[in-house]
Amino acid sequence: MSQLESRLIDRAVPDIPLQLSDGRRLHLSDLWRERPLLVTFFYRRCTGICTPFLEGVRDATRRSGGLGSDYRVLALSFDDADSAEDVEAQAAALGLLGSPGWDFAVTDREALGRITGALDFWYRYDPARRQIEHNAMIVGIDGGRVVRALVAGGGEGGRMRELVWELRGSFIPFYAVPGQTPLSCFTFDAATGETRLDWGMLLLLLPALAALIAALGVFSLGGRLRRSRPDIDAAKAWITSHH
Amino acid sequence: MRKANSYTLYWMGITFLLFPVLAILGIYMRTVQAGGLAGTQTWFYPMMTLHGVGMVGVWYVAAMACAADILSRYTEPSPAVRGLALFGTLVGVLILLVSAFLGKFAAGWYFLYPLPFKGEWPVWSAVAFLLSLTILGATWLLWSLDLLRAIAVKYSITHALGWHYLAGRSEPEIPPSIMIITVSLIAGVAALVAGVIVLVLFYLELFTGAPSDALLMKNFTFFFGHTIVNLAMYLGVAAAYEVLPQYAGRPWKSNRIVAISWNTVLLIVLFAYFHHLYMDFVQPGTLQYIGQIASYASAIPAAVVTIFGALLLVYRARMRWNLASLLFFLGLVGWAIGGMGAVIDSTISANVRLHNTLWVPAHFHTYMLAGLVFLVFAYFYHCSQEAAAEPERPGLQKLVTFLMVGGAYGFFLMFYLSGAYSVPRRFAIYPAELAHGGTFSAIAAVFATVFLIGFFIYLSETGRRWYKALQTAS
Repeated sequence: MSQLESRLIDRAVPDIPLQLSDGRRLHLSDLWRERPLLVTFFYRRCTGICTPFLEGVRDATRRSGGLGSDYRVLALSFDDADSAEDVEAQAAALGLLGSPGWDFAVTDREALGRITGALDFWYRYDPARRQIEHNAMIVGIDGGRVVRALVAGGGEGGRMRELVWELRGSFIPFYAVPGQTPLSCFTFDAATGETRLDWGMLLLLLPALAALIAALGVFSLGGRLRRSRPDIDAAKAWITSHH
Repeated sequence: MRKANSYTLYWMGITFLLFPVLAILGIYMRTVQAGGLAGTQTWFYPMMTLHGVGMVGVWYVAAMACAADILSRYTEPSPAVRGLALFGTLVGVLILLVSAFLGKFAAGWYFLYPLPFKGEWPVWSAVAFLLSLTILGATWLLWSLDLLRAIAVKYSITHALGWHYLAGRSEPEIPPSIMIITVSLIAGVAALVAGVIVLVLFYLELFTGAPSDALLMKNFTFFFGHTIVNLAMYLGVAAAYEVLPQYAGRPWKSNRIVAISWNTVLLIVLFAYFHHLYMDFVQPGTLQYIGQIASYASAIPAAVVTIFGALLLVYRARMRWNLASLLFFLGLVGWAIGGMGAVIDSTISANVRLHNTLWVPAHFHTYMLAGLVFLVFAYFYHCSQEAAAEPERPGLQKLVTFLMVGGAYGFFLMFYLSGAYSVPRRFAIYPAELAHGGTFSAIAAVFATVFLIGFFIYLSETGRRWYKALQTAS
């Protein structure tokens, strides 16, 4: 987990108005009120990461299960030029049109500013390329607060599934810098959703083992000294008597 | 009359010097919490850190000094290692003082990872703190191993741990103090090794940037901290087993029950620390249940056997009550009362309510101050008096006892009441809705001062004998 992801945890998410691809108007809280919510950002005209990233989210949620029953996904356009029809077309392109548990939506510029500001989602229009430069982000929200975030750079399938497991109520351990904590206590298998104890926990046996070895070693040495004691005492007595 | 050991007397001197300073820091903290000494609040957490580490360290070495002195009645601890332990402790304490007073290091005596690296204090003060603990830990580990060696030269491990009593044999007769000290030292080696591992992981991050697992670090920290405090207490109890019979005129012998209870301690005490992690939801649930069971199993048998034994020893005996015997008896009572508080706190359903309140300092102050401190004071007075053979003043000694007991229990009561009224711990100042916490703090500071007055009179009584004993020490 990066520092950006860490600092988002427990951050309050603004309750912005939304227009869904089917034309319904509601608030973000209407979506997170009943069950946790995954929010991700995209825009229709993106020729970069948006579509592959959304495909990654789609595949991860399909593999992990629970979509619709345990949590929902909201794909929110951050391009105020996008209309409800545009985001509906995006849903159709991904094969997600009418898919239960998925919502595609747009919002107004002011609301967009509030939510992207609150989640530190960065984007900037590049007139030369007529594209919006941006990062890729998916945020798990429960009760209006961020429970976990993922700022992606590609190849994030496993971590995306961790996020989904977390939203489904499992405890998912994570470390400040993934894969760089020696002797960690847990490992998490994103494919099966199982948390296992790691070598770090086994290390807890070391002090007791060291004490046992030290005690046996010291008493074994003491035993030898005890057995040789009569000889030492006799030698001392002999030296004393000859002086 | 028995000549005092010079090293024991040096340890007494160090204890008499450091304890009142650290106690005054405690009174300072309660005064700040009561709203006094405005403008010095930035010193609260550095002083809390110093008070915590200092008290644990001072009473651990004081108890070890008692154990070494008891052992010297039966076997021969190395004078060189005793000297090294003294030197290493002084160096460690000096660095600790620099870290607290010049660096304002304030991560608390638990120095929970990663707090030492995250505070407002300079990095060098965190390094100084860790260096201090490294020196202290290495020195004490060596000292523990030497005391074990001294036991091993005279007793086999099966005899030292009283396993022949378990097998139904009563020969050879092993003093209970030897059995308890052996159990405590073996557990102490485990605790100190856990401390070494924590420090190595801290240094690893400091020098290579490799982060540690916070849960692993917390487990090791409490493995070290909880166990070291427990076994310091047991060493104090060993002193009571050794000396109290001399005042009762009756023997306090080892038997199968005593052997079972203390071997249970050895087997289980290493798992009791899990109760410090009840609040950590990431800790596997099984370990939490083990924590509760181990806390009961390690505390109750030894305490019940000891208290029952002490009561039988004293009941209808021709007791010679003086400062030593009174404090030994009251020390065992304090251990039992504080132990009850600890057992309650180690119960998961109670801990959920009490963990972050002043109930926690309430129970550990009870068994440390009214338990371990009284036992060690008793032993120190006993040693000094044995060597000095000064005429005793029963009235003054009863006054000392009255002031220390009254001051200590009044002080604890304010902690217990604060805990019952949900006053959180580790707050330097209380917000308006917790104003009652400030009132309890003010009363606690008064009681602590009463205790300290009692201590200074104790010091005048014991100090005089200590000085005389020093002239003839071996």
